[in-house]
Amino acid sequence: MALPTESPPTGATTAHMPDAQLPPAPTWRRELRRAWISMVASRWALFGLIILLIAIIVGIFGPALAPFDPNRQNIMLRLVEPGGAGPGGAVYWMGSDSLGRDVFSRLLYGARVSLLVGFAAIAVGGTIGIIAGLLSGYFGGWVDDIIMRLGDIQLAFPFILLAIMFLVVLGPGLMNIILVLGIGQWITYARIVRAETLSLREKEYVEAARAMGDSTVSIMFRTILPNIMAPLTVIASFNVASVILSEAALSFLGLGVPPNVPTWGSMLAESREHLLSNRWWLAIFPGMAIVFVVLAFNIMGDWLRDHLDPRLREQG
Amino acid sequence: MTRIRTLLMASAALSLPAVASAQAPENTIVTALSADITTFDIAQVSERGNSNIMRHIFATLETTQPDGSIAPDVAESLEITEDGTGYIYTLHEGLTCHDGESLMAEDVAYTFNRAADPDNGFTGNVPGFLFSGMQFMGAEALDDLRVQINIRTPNPIARGLIAEVMVHCKDAYEAMSIDEAGQNPVGSGRYQMVEWDRGSSVTLERVADESEAPVERLVFRIIPESSTRTAELLAGNIDLVTNVPPDQLDVIDNNPNTEVYIAQGLRRIYVGFNLSDDFAAMPGGDAIQDPMVRRALQYAVDVPSICTQLLNFECERATGLVNPPHNHPDIEPYPYDPETAEAMLDEAGWERGEDGTRFSIRFQAGRDRYLNDVNVVQAITQMLQDVGVDVELQILDWASGFVPLVRERNAGPLYFLGSGGNIWSEFIDMNDLNSVDAGTNYTHWDDPRWFDGWEVIRDPSASPEEIEETRLEMLRVFYEDGPWLHLYSQPDFYAMSDRLNFTPRQDERVYLWTATLD
Amino acid sequence: MWTFLLRRLWQSVIVLIGVTLISFIALQIGGDPTYLFVSENASTEEIERARRVLGFDRPLHVQYLSYVWDVMRLDFGTSLTFRQPAMDVVLAALPASIELTLFSLILAIVISIPLGIVSALYRGKPVDGGIMTFAMIGQSIPNFWMGIMMIMFFGLYLSWFPISGHVPFLRPLFHGDFARAFGNLPQTLHYLIMPALAVGSYTLARNARLVRSSMLEVLQQDYVRTARSKGISETRVIIHHALRNAWLPVVTMIGLEFGFVLGGVVVVETVFSYPGVGRLVFNAINQRDIPVVQAAVIVIALIFILLNLIVDLIYARLDPRVKL
Repeated sequence: MALPTESPPTGATTAHMPDAQLPPAPTWRRELRRAWISMVASRWALFGLIILLIAIIVGIFGPALAPFDPNRQNIMLRLVEPGGAGPGGAVYWMGSDSLGRDVFSRLLYGARVSLLVGFAAIAVGGTIGIIAGLLSGYFGGWVDDIIMRLGDIQLAFPFILLAIMFLVVLGPGLMNIILVLGIGQWITYARIVRAETLSLREKEYVEAARAMGDSTVSIMFRTILPNIMAPLTVIASFNVASVILSEAALSFLGLGVPPNVPTWGSMLAESREHLLSNRWWLAIFPGMAIVFVVLAFNIMGDWLRDHLDPRLREQG
Repeated sequence: MTRIRTLLMASAALSLPAVASAQAPENTIVTALSADITTFDIAQVSERGNSNIMRHIFATLETTQPDGSIAPDVAESLEITEDGTGYIYTLHEGLTCHDGESLMAEDVAYTFNRAADPDNGFTGNVPGFLFSGMQFMGAEALDDLRVQINIRTPNPIARGLIAEVMVHCKDAYEAMSIDEAGQNPVGSGRYQMVEWDRGSSVTLERVADESEAPVERLVFRIIPESSTRTAELLAGNIDLVTNVPPDQLDVIDNNPNTEVYIAQGLRRIYVGFNLSDDFAAMPGGDAIQDPMVRRALQYAVDVPSICTQLLNFECERATGLVNPPHNHPDIEPYPYDPETAEAMLDEAGWERGEDGTRFSIRFQAGRDRYLNDVNVVQAITQMLQDVGVDVELQILDWASGFVPLVRERNAGPLYFLGSGGNIWSEFIDMNDLNSVDAGTNYTHWDDPRWFDGWEVIRDPSASPEEIEETRLEMLRVFYEDGPWLHLYSQPDFYAMSDRLNFTPRQDERVYLWTATLD
Repeated sequence: MWTFLLRRLWQSVIVLIGVTLISFIALQIGGDPTYLFVSENASTEEIERARRVLGFDRPLHVQYLSYVWDVMRLDFGTSLTFRQPAMDVVLAALPASIELTLFSLILAIVISIPLGIVSALYRGKPVDGGIMTFAMIGQSIPNFWMGIMMIMFFGLYLSWFPISGHVPFLRPLFHGDFARAFGNLPQTLHYLIMPALAVGSYTLARNARLVRSSMLEVLQQDYVRTARSKGISETRVIIHHALRNAWLPVVTMIGLEFGFVLGGVVVVETVFSYPGVGRLVFNAINQRDIPVVQAAVIVIALIFILLNLIVDLIYARLDPRVKL
C-alpha cells in the first residue's frame, strides 16, 4: 500500500525541492494521464480525491439539495433527533439544532462556506506571497530585506493572536475572516517563491528572456512563475486544510462568521454546550465533515508532492 | 476511524448517569466562576462575580436583604440630616480588620474619600456608578463611631447606593501602593483571603464565628467554558455553578448528586428602539418613530415560547421596565398575535411590498452576556421577519463592540440589552430613564408624559397618593408608547452539589455565609 | 559565528518593534477602549475622567512613542484591568504555559519517534498502515474538539484525569521552593496530560510521519547499507545511524512550529480553564488591556527568537554540513 510520505509543509520544503528544470515539455493531456495513473496506484490519493469531489459538488449544488432553508428556525422543534419529524411531515435527517434549524441543510450550506473560506484565504495569501516572493527574489537588496523582515515579524507573532486581534477589532464576518486567514499565510508562499526565484534568476532561459527584451513583469510572471507552480500547489493543498482548522478554532473562540452563516466550524462550536446532554448529532456531523475534508486536503497535498517531485517519486 | 469510535463511545457513555465521586474537600464550598478575578480593591472592582467574592472579605455600612429591605451591617444606626444631604452612620463598637487594626468612623470616611479621589484614578463601580448616582460630596468622621456621608441633593436611592460601598481600614491601605492594595485585601468581613492563584482560583478562610459563617473555607475557581464547569460539577469537584446554560439544566437535574435552583432574576431584558434623530434618518429608524409601529412589533414576538424553549423557564412577559412587585398591577402583558401585528403595521402605513417586506431595520446585540442571548436574538429576528420586517441582525463582541455603542447611545435602531434591576425602591428600576438626556436613556425617548412625571415624584410637597398615581400613569405610557419591546426578567440558574444548602437571591449576589454543607 | 549572532540581534530588534507596533495599531483602530474600564452605569463625566486617567485622550503617535520610551527603560506599563505592572501579570502566567508547551512537545516527540521508526521498519505492513492512518486523522482533528472529547471521556466518564485546572511546578521552582515544586510534580503531570495531548496531537501526528519518511530515506543511504553489511546489529544501526539523522527534520519543525503550538495553546487553555498566557492574552485583547497584550507579545516574540536561535545552533551541531 503506497502510503503518503511526509515532509514539512512550510519553508523547509524547499530543501527537498529539485533544482528547477527547463520548462516542461509534455502536453497537459499526457500530464493528466500520468497523474491519473499515479493516483489510482495510490489508494489513499483516490480516497482523498473522492472526498474532495463530493465536498466540492455539495459546495456547488448544496442549496439545491438542501431540504430546508438552513436559516429557517422553528423553536418549537428544536433539538430534534436525527430522523425525527420536522415541520409539515418533512424529516430532519441529521436532527435539528438549538434553534430548530435543519442540521443536514446547514451542513450542505456549510460545505460551500467552509470551502470558500479555505480557497479564498489561500488565494489572498498566495497572491500576496507570490508577488512578495517574486519581488524579493528577483530584485534582492533592500526590497528583499524589507519583505523578509516583515515576514520575520509576522512569524514571531503567533498567527492566532494576530487573527484574534484583528477579528476582535473588525468584528465577525466572512470577508474579515478570509482576509485574516489569507494574510496569515502569505509568508509561507513568499519564502518559497523567493528561494525558487533566486535559483531561477540565473538560469539560461531567464537570461534569454531578458536578452530578448522581455519586461521584468513578464519575466517574473510568464517565465519564472510557471516553473515554480509545483511546490506552490503542494503547499496550497496543505494550507487549505490548515485554514479550515483555523476557521473552526476562531469560531470556537467566538470570532468566526456571524451566527446566521452556517460553517462547519461554527456548527461545531455551537455543539459544545449540548455534548453533556447527549445531543451527539450536533457535534458528530460537522465534526466528521471537517475531519474528512481536512484529511482529504492533507492526502492530496501528500500525493501532489510525491507526484510533482520526481526525486521523491523515484524513492517512493 | 479510531477517533470517531471514541467519540461515539463518549456520547453513549454520557447517556448513563454520570459517575460522580465527590472529591470536594470537607468544610469547603467550591464555586465555579466564568469571568476572571482582576482586583481586590473595593474602588476598582466593577464585575459582579469579582465583587461577590470581595463582599465576603469586606463589610458594608448597611446591607440589602434578599427581600429588598435594608439591614444594618457594621453600622448599627442611621440618621439623615434635616436637609436630606447628610447621612450619619453610627458604627458598632469593637470592630476590627483582619490585620488587627480597629475599624472606626475615620476608617470608613477614609474608604469613601480614597475611592473618590481623582488622583487615584479608580474606574470601578464605586466611583463610577455609586458615587455619581448619589452625587457624593465627601465623608467625614464626627467622632470615633459616627461617620457622615455628604451628598449634593436629597435623593431617594442614596441610602441603597451607600449600602453597596464596601469599607476597609485606613492604616493598612495608607501603607500600600494602589498596585499592592489590589492584591492584598484587608477588610473586616467574615472571611479573609489566604490565596489568589491568578487566573485559576481564590481561596478564603473564615475569621468570623461559626454562627455568622458556618463554612470554614471558600474556594472560587475560574472556569470560562460553561461545558467544562458543568462537567466539573457532575464529577463532584464543584459545589456551586452560577449562570448555567439552559440546555445543560436537564443533565444536571437528572444527575443524582446535583440539582438546579432557579431564581427569578431582576435583570430586565428588552429590545430597545433607538429613537434618536440620527437613526430616524436610517432605514427602519423612521418606522419605529411611530408608537403604533412599536406597539405592533410587541405583538409579533412570542415571549412565552422564547422562555420555555430557549431559556428552559416558564416566564411571564414583562409589561414595562419595573420588576414585580412594583410593576403596574392592572396591565396585562402583550399577547403573541402576529395577525394583529400585521394589521397594525398595515394601518400604520407600512404595508408589505412586492417582496413581502414592510421595511428593513438593523438589530444590534452583544454576544455571550445574557442567558442564551445569541439564540434569543436570532429567534426574535425570525419572529419579526415573519411579520414582514426585514431584520439585519448584527451580533457584536460584547465588551469591545457592543458596549461602546450602547454607551454612546448609538446602538440600534433595534438593540438587545439587559438592565440590572432592583426591588428596594419602587423608583429604582424607573431610574434608567430619569431624564431625556440621562446616560442610561439609550433610546433617546422623550415622551413628556413620562419625563414630566419625575417632577411630581421629586416634589417634596407631593402627597404619597399623588406620587403613586403619577407613577402608575407613567408606567402605562411606557407600556403603550414606550421605547422598549418588552421581553422578560432574566432567570438565574444555579447548579449545586447535593451537600450544599443554599438559597440564591434574586439580585445575582452570592453570599455564601448564608450557606451550609451536609 | 559572532556576525551571525549580531545579525540575529539586529533582526530581533526590528521584529520587536514590528510586533508591538502592529498590536498597538490593531487594538487602537477598534476605537476608544475607555468604555471597557468603567462600570456598566457610569455617568458621562465619569467616562471623560476615566479616559484622561487611562491616557486615551492623547494622540495615537504620542501614546505609542511614550510607550516605546518606557519600554526602553524596561517599564512595560500598568495593566488596565489588573492595575498591576503588565509585565508582572504576563510573567506570572508564563510558567503554566511553558509547562503546557514543553510537555506537549515532549509528549509529541516521545510518542512520535517510536511510532515513526516502527512504521518505517514495518513499511507497507498493517502496523505501518494503522499508525499512518492514525497520524493522518490526528492531523485533521480540530484541537478544541479533541479537548472536549477527552474531557467527556477520560475526565468525566472514566475519571482518569482531572477535567480542568492546573497545579504549578515551575512557579515554585523559580521561587526556589524545590520541595514544593517536586512535591507537586506528579499532580502537575496528571493535570497536564489531557491539555498537552490536545495541544500536541497535530505535532505528534506530523512528527510521526516525518520521522517515518526521513527514516526511510536514511535507511537507503550508503553508510547505513555499509553498516548493515558489516554485520552491525539492526538495533545499533537504527540507533546510531538512522535515528541520529532522522532527528534533523524534527528539530527544524519544532522551531518553526512554536507559533503554531502557541495557537493551539490559546484555544486549549480556554477549554481546560488552564491559567496560562494564551487565555490571558485572549482576555486582554477582548478587554483591550493594551499594556498586557504588548507585554505578552514582546515575551512571545522573544521566546520565538530565542527558540529559533537554539534550533539553529542544535542544527549546526547535529549536521556538520551546516556552518553558521
